[in-house]
Amino acid sequence: MIVGEQKKIAEIKELVEPYRKILILGCGTCVKTCFAGGEDEVSTVASALRLALSIEGKEIAVEELTVERQCEDEFIQEAAEAIARSEVVLSIACGAGVQDIAKSFPKVPVLPGVNTTFIGILEKHGLFTEECLGCCDCKLALFGSVCPIARCSKKLLNGPCGGSKDGTCEVDPAIDCAWQLIIDRLKELGQLHTLKSYVEPKDWRRSNAGGPRKLVRQDHII
Amino acid sequence: MNKQFKLKITVFHCINTFSDAGNVQRGGDETTEINFIALPCSSMVKDVFLLRAFEAGADAVIVMVCPEGACRYVEGNLRAKRRVMWVQNVLDDIGLGGRRLTLFNVAPGDEKAIVKIIEETRADVAALGPSPAHYVARLA
Amino acid sequence: MSTPTAPVSNLQRLLSQGEFVVTAECGPPRGADADAVAKKVAYLKGFVDAVNVTDNQTAIVRMSSIAASAHLLRQGVEPVMQMVTRDRNRIALQSDIMGAYSLGIRNMLCLSGDHQSFGSQPDALNVFDIDSLHLIRAVRTMRDEGKDMSGFELKGAPRMFIGAAENPFADPFDYRVIRLAKKIDAGVDFIQTQCIYNMERFKAWMNMAREEGLTERVHILAGVTPLKSAGMASYMAHKVAGMDIPEPLLKRIADVPKEKAS
Repeated sequence: MIVGEQKKIAEIKELVEPYRKILILGCGTCVKTCFAGGEDEVSTVASALRLALSIEGKEIAVEELTVERQCEDEFIQEAAEAIARSEVVLSIACGAGVQDIAKSFPKVPVLPGVNTTFIGILEKHGLFTEECLGCCDCKLALFGSVCPIARCSKKLLNGPCGGSKDGTCEVDPAIDCAWQLIIDRLKELGQLHTLKSYVEPKDWRRSNAGGPRKLVRQDHII
Repeated sequence: MNKQFKLKITVFHCINTFSDAGNVQRGGDETTEINFIALPCSSMVKDVFLLRAFEAGADAVIVMVCPEGACRYVEGNLRAKRRVMWVQNVLDDIGLGGRRLTLFNVAPGDEKAIVKIIEETRADVAALGPSPAHYVARLA
Repeated sequence: MSTPTAPVSNLQRLLSQGEFVVTAECGPPRGADADAVAKKVAYLKGFVDAVNVTDNQTAIVRMSSIAASAHLLRQGVEPVMQMVTRDRNRIALQSDIMGAYSLGIRNMLCLSGDHQSFGSQPDALNVFDIDSLHLIRAVRTMRDEGKDMSGFELKGAPRMFIGAAENPFADPFDYRVIRLAKKIDAGVDFIQTQCIYNMERFKAWMNMAREEGLTERVHILAGVTPLKSAGMASYMAHKVAGMDIPEPLLKRIADVPKEKAS
């Protein structure tokens, strides 16, 4: 899923300051799962925002709505009427959702209420970890399905570096050393010898470094 | 600061802490209005309920939960505690003050403790003054 | 593929003759003053066989290692130019290797580099386009085949003596020697280790390297850094990545009475 965290209410307040009628639009998919932008979070942000503004003697009319996803037109259009009623939309979806709303409703300012962080997983309740950088050249097969691009702080393909200590990364002991994980996993699978092979430099052409990407599926376009 | 303002305190409590306020003032007196909101478990306290209590004009909100290790639903009181801490941060962030929201562990039926908590909160909030949220937001 | 028959640098000549070689390190100044380089190097001239010039070590912005290495040459001191992959992509790295060679630099050390979070610009974007092994391979290919990473035939091959670092104290311990072998296969001529305080671990590492036949294939220089004070020892032990200073040693230094401390 895409993981994100809500912006601080103080920051959101500054963004919506010029407006008096706002729609807080939530998303029921990725950001709901990471407690950043689902229906519950919409109501919390609305309440906190009203309180924050009333402390300054200001009032704001807040409409609250959540759609299934903000990255598909079918669901976005469900918000059309509410958006038409508002001066501004505060979208607490991920960055993709915010932009899709803006594309679909070009006459209304659309503001982000979430800082989108990474593609990741729910490691355990309340803990989300980054797993994939979307490099479009997946080599997980070489590394026992532990990604050194997303999970090694230095993106080493022939790691580890000299800073690996007690299975943790030199950057932060809370970060697992991806190369320790790779070695442990390959040991478990009886495939440690595969790491003796030199892994070639990465071809970054199809990653975001090569430019923003598109995926076109002709078999679905008529 | 107006020392004569009427305090409004909202108390969220688990029904296992107490189901009848008994000696505790219900409805308050001329200085204080107290609202009790009973929940089947303190973990049912959602972030938005706490915030809405302040929107409804509360100057302080208390959450009373069972002692740790004694929650009938095992973790309910732990989850309530985490949520209260989260909302305290939000209240600090917006300038309302996390100090106005508190959580206490209370042994079931311990009326003396409940009275003491409310009295202490009353005194603390009287010193703090009314909630800086001037207007009561119109709830949808 | 051919390896140079004649040594390309004095360092290589001495090592291939089996001499006990001593190198030291010179961190370039945090400024544009060439004299600052000269002052530092003056202490070392005549006492060491070559001087490592660090590349924005610990991710603290300093004068570039290529420039500082060129200053060393002017003073008659042989540099080992360090190059990290943290700040430059393969385009810039290959470009600098050729530039360095054209300035007379003949030794280089290939490293990944300390993460930028340690340094003076933790807010910078890092690069890590390639890792140290890729860099080693690239230099070797440039030297022995006269081609860059894209296969282009260079007008003048940089004939560098290629070094890398190894840390016998990093984890996972049992994998370190496999990685050393990988670096040698990629084209490393000499290894410099991190400074050694844990002799037992170093001995174990050397034994493993010897058993794999690696000591026959690469020159190994062991790192030594005198600890000037308990404060320095503690800093190295806890704040510098990849250090292993055993507790008894830290205690021994800390226990020295003030009158006896330098």
